[in-house]
Amino acid sequence: MRHPREGWSPEGSRQPGLSRRGFLRQGAAAGLLAGGIGTLLEACSSPSAGGPSSSGSAIPLARPNHPVTWPLYADNKPIKSGLQPEKNATLQIYNWVAYLNQQCVKDFEKKYNCKVQVTTFNTMSEAMSKLRTEQVKFDVFIPTIDVLGTLIESRILRPLNHSYIPNIHQAWPDFTNPFYDQKWQYTVPYTIYTTGIAWRKDYVHENPYTMANPWAMPWQAKYKGKVAILDDYRESISLGLMKDGIFNLNTTDPAQITQSQKALQDLSQLVNVHIDNNDYSNVPSGQIWIHHAWSGDMAAAPAYMPKGVSPDVIGYWFPPDGKGPVGNDTMAVLAGGENPVLAHLFLDYMLDLPNALTNISYNGYMQPLTAITPQRLVKEGLLIPSLISTAVLPSYFRRGVMELELPPAADALWQQAWLSVSKGI
Amino acid sequence: MAVTMRRRQRAPGRTFWAILAVPAVVWLAVFFVVPFYTVLAISGGYLNPFLQEPVAVWNPLQWSAANLDSLMRDITGAGAFIGPIVARTLVYVVAASVLSLLIGYPAAYFVARFAGRRKGLFLLLLIAPFWISYMMRMLAWIDLLQTGGYINRLLSLVGISPVNWLGGESVTVILGLAYGYIPYLILVLYAGLDRIDPRLIEAGRDLGLGRVRTFLRVTLPLSRQPILTGMLITVLPMLGDYFTNQMLSGTASTSMLGNVIDGQLETPGLQGQGAVLSMMMLTVLLVPMLYYVIATNRSSREAVS
Repeated sequence: MRHPREGWSPEGSRQPGLSRRGFLRQGAAAGLLAGGIGTLLEACSSPSAGGPSSSGSAIPLARPNHPVTWPLYADNKPIKSGLQPEKNATLQIYNWVAYLNQQCVKDFEKKYNCKVQVTTFNTMSEAMSKLRTEQVKFDVFIPTIDVLGTLIESRILRPLNHSYIPNIHQAWPDFTNPFYDQKWQYTVPYTIYTTGIAWRKDYVHENPYTMANPWAMPWQAKYKGKVAILDDYRESISLGLMKDGIFNLNTTDPAQITQSQKALQDLSQLVNVHIDNNDYSNVPSGQIWIHHAWSGDMAAAPAYMPKGVSPDVIGYWFPPDGKGPVGNDTMAVLAGGENPVLAHLFLDYMLDLPNALTNISYNGYMQPLTAITPQRLVKEGLLIPSLISTAVLPSYFRRGVMELELPPAADALWQQAWLSVSKGI
Repeated sequence: MAVTMRRRQRAPGRTFWAILAVPAVVWLAVFFVVPFYTVLAISGGYLNPFLQEPVAVWNPLQWSAANLDSLMRDITGAGAFIGPIVARTLVYVVAASVLSLLIGYPAAYFVARFAGRRKGLFLLLLIAPFWISYMMRMLAWIDLLQTGGYINRLLSLVGISPVNWLGGESVTVILGLAYGYIPYLILVLYAGLDRIDPRLIEAGRDLGLGRVRTFLRVTLPLSRQPILTGMLITVLPMLGDYFTNQMLSGTASTSMLGNVIDGQLETPGLQGQGAVLSMMMLTVLLVPMLYYVIATNRSSREAVS
């Protein structure tokens, strides 16, 4: 699974392999889920401590009903409390492309009298291989949930000293004890998002909010050539599953994966489905009328409207009961960095409401702070009222389903199915 | 005889020439041989199941056929899906090449033979597309072809209802391929046609051939070599192209071999198979390459004798 920032580019046009926001390839970005259908465990989970584990490794697969408390190691201790920020320092941030407002960086520099250097990556695997070489001295990193185990076992992440991050209290309470990092020992939450259906109200006359099965909305022959799904193996195979009422988006059952593959191939036959991650520009331009879409992309879509077309013609549907794909990213401090105090202060800084709002105004993706409500986003002019459905609510993380890391064998099935759908037939 | 003499004359300067060749050899070694061998090593390597990353095996004696086997299943097995894509790729590339040739040949012929004093200007215009990145040119096509784009607006003026060009149309992909690679073809054709001795054509006319027959009997046979070179230079990249397709179509119904490889390389765990498929394509493409080398040698030998 890719990441919303994978291969981001500013043009807002289709690009090869560089779609604006994809999801991380290897596994899901995940969020909090305290129950629901998505919590079903894989049948093949091994009985190792802490939950199901990837075959061939002892690193547990975090699941909402199998929360993981990561170990603390003697050779990787948190920094002491009460230290002063480093002097004449350059804080090194390693982030997705276009995933942080430059204004936040500048303000932070001013506040702590330091320099900040942001280095970007396009895919989580690119970032992981760079971090594994240990040649780089980054201080702050934006990992997805599925790579946390690897990062922690390899001592790449530094455990957090909570005394530097008082602003965690501004975050949704659920995120102070997430299943993927119990007691937030290594991470704080960054952005949150949902996956739903975007549609053009002026061309499509069905309203997903009144449809019996909105996940099946793309399967309509009359919209041939005007339907698109996300170029992401986890998201799209999940769409095929949900269309048939399967909400275990981490299924390892080959029959279910094949069923979804068939459903998507039918879709391909039916409407010659478009496969791209440019939901934020293709829906405004009218090129696509029904687009399987990410919430943050659609929140940003009004900026791409052609002149003379009201952004109100765009709708975004996510199940009002929250039973749909949700996810989140995290921020962490790297053990190899030279400025651990500033790194902690930066995490704290981004959890502060005004800074989070500044950041959202740029990247479109919400951050899970208690004070950031959909109404607040509208009031601040960060969201248009007709797209209020793109806002993520805490309840979504309790009822929603997450695409989480799969055991490798099952992951291969998902990928193979997607390759057949996206490139085959 | 002539050959041996020339060789002997060159002998004293051999070191000098060898030194001159060093940069090219180093370049080839670093940017061709090493990457090529890496792809081979990945093809013959295995998968790290934990990281879902391919592991290159550098010793050819230890290469495994695992990647080849899984790829063969995609090609011939029960769930095979690559077959129709190979056929589609060939159809697209042949169509785009023929189209390019039909457009490119007259253009090159005109510049080489009739441009006169304006030859420099025309050459400049032919090179102009290279000033703009390929991606920008494709983005321009998207603007032209989209639902409310200029082409559709033009069509609606003539009373034709808008065409969904970007909705996965084979025609769009073929046109895009032709458009993308035609400058290379024209330049190569021009270079070849420009070298044709006008006196040969005049001789043909003097000996009583009409315009058409002069072209068919003199110019066309003389341009066989440039056409071959030009086709090779455009067909090879077209066969591996994934980009044009992704930009102008983005649907599975038009996907080509390049898209399959792209998909495999982007999919954790399938990079090894992508490497095998790349090697397979390369092996197949070696055939026209070898033919080209042989044909060039033959024609230069003919020219010498």
